[in-house]
Amino acid sequence: MSKQQNGASRATSVTPAPGTPTPASGPTSSLHPVVGINFGNSYASIAVFTKEGLAESIANEDGERQIACAISFHGEELYIGNQAKQQLVKNAKNSIVGFRNLLGKKFSEIPGSEHPTLSAPIIQHPDLADTIAYKVEVLQPAPSPLPTSAITTPAASHAPTPRSEPTPTSRILTVHDVTVIFLRSLLKSAEDFLGKPITGAVISVPEAETFNDKQREALKEAAKEAGLNVLQLLDEAAAVVSLTTTSLWSSEEDQEEGGQPLNKDRTQLVVDLGSSALSLHLVSVREGLSYVLSSSFTPNVGGDKIDDKLITFFAADFTKKTKVPLKVCPAPADAVADQRAEAKLRLAIEHTKRTISASPGAATCSVESLKDGMDYTGNINRMRFDMLASPIYAAVADAITALLSRAAFDAHDVDEVVYVGGTGCLPGLDNRICLQAGFREDVQTPFARGIVVGGGVGDPTTIIARGCAYQAALLDTLTNSESQEDKEILAAFEAGSEANQVKATTKTIGVLFPNDLEENKEVGGTWIPVVQRETALPVRRIVSLDVEVEEESKRVAFEVWEVVEGIRVEKVTPPKSQDDEEEEEEEEEEEEIEVKHRTVTKHALLAAFDGKAKLAVQTKGKGPQKGKWFTRVEIQFVVGIDGDLNVELKEIGGEEGLVQRIHVAA
Amino acid sequence: MASVQVLSIATPPVSAAYKAPSVPSTSRISAPHPSGHRTLLPVGPAYINHLRLSLHHSHSFSSLDKHLEAERERLAALHGEDNAGEDDLGVGDEEESEELLALDPKEWKKQDHYAVLGLSHLRYKATADQIKIAHRKKVLKHHPDKKAATTTNVSSSLYLAGVNQNTNDDAFFKCIQKAHEVLTNPEKRRQFDSVDPVFLELEEEMPTLAEFKSKNLDFFKTFGPVFDLYSRFSKAQPVPGLGHIDSSKDEVEGFYDFWYNFDSWRSFEWLDKEVNEGSDSRDDKRYTEKKNKSERARRKKEDTAKLRGLVDMALGLDPRIKRIKQQEKEAREAKKKAGNPAAAAKKTKQQEEEEKKKAEQAAKEKEEAEKLARAEAKKQKAAAANAAKKARRQQRAAEEGGAA
Repeated sequence: MSKQQNGASRATSVTPAPGTPTPASGPTSSLHPVVGINFGNSYASIAVFTKEGLAESIANEDGERQIACAISFHGEELYIGNQAKQQLVKNAKNSIVGFRNLLGKKFSEIPGSEHPTLSAPIIQHPDLADTIAYKVEVLQPAPSPLPTSAITTPAASHAPTPRSEPTPTSRILTVHDVTVIFLRSLLKSAEDFLGKPITGAVISVPEAETFNDKQREALKEAAKEAGLNVLQLLDEAAAVVSLTTTSLWSSEEDQEEGGQPLNKDRTQLVVDLGSSALSLHLVSVREGLSYVLSSSFTPNVGGDKIDDKLITFFAADFTKKTKVPLKVCPAPADAVADQRAEAKLRLAIEHTKRTISASPGAATCSVESLKDGMDYTGNINRMRFDMLASPIYAAVADAITALLSRAAFDAHDVDEVVYVGGTGCLPGLDNRICLQAGFREDVQTPFARGIVVGGGVGDPTTIIARGCAYQAALLDTLTNSESQEDKEILAAFEAGSEANQVKATTKTIGVLFPNDLEENKEVGGTWIPVVQRETALPVRRIVSLDVEVEEESKRVAFEVWEVVEGIRVEKVTPPKSQDDEEEEEEEEEEEEIEVKHRTVTKHALLAAFDGKAKLAVQTKGKGPQKGKWFTRVEIQFVVGIDGDLNVELKEIGGEEGLVQRIHVAA
Repeated sequence: MASVQVLSIATPPVSAAYKAPSVPSTSRISAPHPSGHRTLLPVGPAYINHLRLSLHHSHSFSSLDKHLEAERERLAALHGEDNAGEDDLGVGDEEESEELLALDPKEWKKQDHYAVLGLSHLRYKATADQIKIAHRKKVLKHHPDKKAATTTNVSSSLYLAGVNQNTNDDAFFKCIQKAHEVLTNPEKRRQFDSVDPVFLELEEEMPTLAEFKSKNLDFFKTFGPVFDLYSRFSKAQPVPGLGHIDSSKDEVEGFYDFWYNFDSWRSFEWLDKEVNEGSDSRDDKRYTEKKNKSERARRKKEDTAKLRGLVDMALGLDPRIKRIKQQEKEAREAKKKAGNPAAAAKKTKQQEEEEKKKAEQAAKEKEEAEKLARAEAKKQKAAAANAAKKARRQQRAAEEGGAA
């Protein structure tokens, strides 16, 4: 991040007042001058709309898409982002990290253990009561010399008066000040990229349990002071859904590649594994409309824990190679060399972790002069890495199992897993979770779909920022709209709006075409679910399909049922086929394997349709379908706000098709 | 309309023995989760539609469908033309006629630079940014590199295969470059704007006094556009408009005051004859330059006179001036009447005569006095001259005497 003059940082970065329209962003412009900000505790990322009309995560001036939430003061200079993180090695006392979670909190509210050991310590503000503050040593630029006049000039001299040396002084910063400086630098990066002022921003925040209203208010205030016009503070789960419900997420391309198309109605598990915490959300997505079924938050599970394991591993390796003792995680308080070595390793393994995520080979870690002037170069392969990280993976999987059982969901009910956060990039995590939590074979994960690496849409580090950008664009259109309706809608976007409280279905409703096929024995026909359970009301769903009819009767008949979906667990003994394997192993493998099936149990008959098709056509040509009569029908379900159901059967393909309607009262 | 989920399945026919079950009339769907049990995530277009549905359409899908359809049509009408992703500041795409594409770059002085860049709908109003964008658009379309790839070789001669025979295909590109050069240079652009061909055409169609009277034209409809047309040349902006029939006296006077003191930036360098740069003859060059200069001055004078004539004509025909004069007259008369209706008129007549006499007398006296003074001065002058002569003569005599 750009260096700024310490004293003048406030005065120089002039940001235009938010909301001022520029000629370039008139109503004809289809590019939204908005920014989506993923503001995490450890890292932030920003996304804007590029010329292609897609929200893309952009890099700051240092080329970093993952911008460390850190600022550091060094002499007269101010470092922001990853440069500030580098300062943690030598200039730790003047570096500030992990400030997001402290925003809006009082000094008395934070427990002592939360203080990061390495960076500038948190102190009580000397003037403001019960306020968190940081104290940093800076160099204040000397005041400019007094204007020369006849009286103040002592003697004529040809040489210009040298500027006086800057004076060391200490500066007290509140969390608010730090956040403002950081957000302003993010805004500047976005504006530099777009080349025009940003008129609106959506910032992601953790869910309400961990980031309360007071903190949200504090964040809004800081953003406002930084020159950002906050359109909405979006929960992280909502930001993820904002992206995963776009057409981009379930793009045509990967369907062509043989992948299964994503169902529009799906149950999504969002695994947000950052560097300091894990949060899980079970989300019901129903044609873009979604709500959280259940969520959990686990502090102290995250990338930092993996870092600790890695650092310990590399430190042990270093000691083995060089015979220099090195004790880390935690380094002893009195050994400065060890502390510094740990800080160096912590920076170096960032690169190692990224390499591990990106490529299947081994990743190196090299640090010059780690301790006592000895350099270190070591490598680690994926297998060993996954072994090291195994406890963390296991903790994540346990948290998922706990969440599912709390929500009364089976692992097989989960249709899609979405990873968010830097640690979510690790392929080992995906493998482990899928195995341990027991998802379906065909569960959709970004790794299975191959959209994680190479700047794919599923890149866990940028999902939230891009989701925020899409949301910002949406709100921008609403803000610019003049109609009264849109203004009311905009008001509803405010958190805690009553319009967000919805009724939802509890059981799946669908149609059953009676037949006696072998595979449909369970329910006595072909079952087609139309309105899934956990769908917000009111809802309308339309399905269309081909129905075969008898040539003479042309009869179309089906029933509308409400069903209970369940999971049947079968114990299957795996077939013994390996004769050449050793006896011991065979004995171990004789356990039964649980095989799960989805089941449907009829609950209530709601309606029955019976009619005569009028537009049936006979298929021509060859093949098994030859000479059979088919007709295409559309079945529309509308479930009203009170739970009344309207089903309409329509034959399509002509004017005078069969039409039947049935109303089921609430 | 809601999206239709198309299933790729075909259900087998219903067996003939199937009898539709009788539905119990009490069958209902299970009670939904009560309101408040689930909280929607406020994201995405689907959420906005849900809000519309619950806030404005009382949960009626058909009403929402109608609304969305109307909205889509409105947006389609609004963004009909600019489907391009980039904002072009309203430059748009103009059709390029055959004549335009056949322009000769050698005759660049005569071309309409705005038309070449596709800016004829903006002309002198085009901003620098718009000119830049328009130029870029045209270059992308007409760059010779692109042309070479697209033009098909007509001749199938073996010897000419791969040789671009259409050597003149960058003619229009040269025109574009010339137009860009002129329009991006403020001085050149000013000169071109001064003699903008479209303006000259419009200038021709200006109404004459005879025409105005014979056709009984409407004053405001005739002169309003004319003054609007000329206002572009004003150094001072904004220019006061002609106004309407009920404009106040101040407005009308302000308008004519402005136009009588019109400060124009119009100049006629563009129409200069080319100075033959290659010529060695300095005299020839100077002669041409001199001629150009005088021609420019003549044209400027003509232009000023023309505008002056126009303003005079407008002033003469302006119904408001008549009205204002009438009002003033009435006001004066009303004032007189208000004072001493009967005596006032007589008194003034007498007074006027007296004043006239007095003035005449005064003038006479003054004239006489002046005459006297002049004569006196003459006499004095003559006397002074005589005295000087005498003195000189005496001096000369004295000198001669001294010398002898």
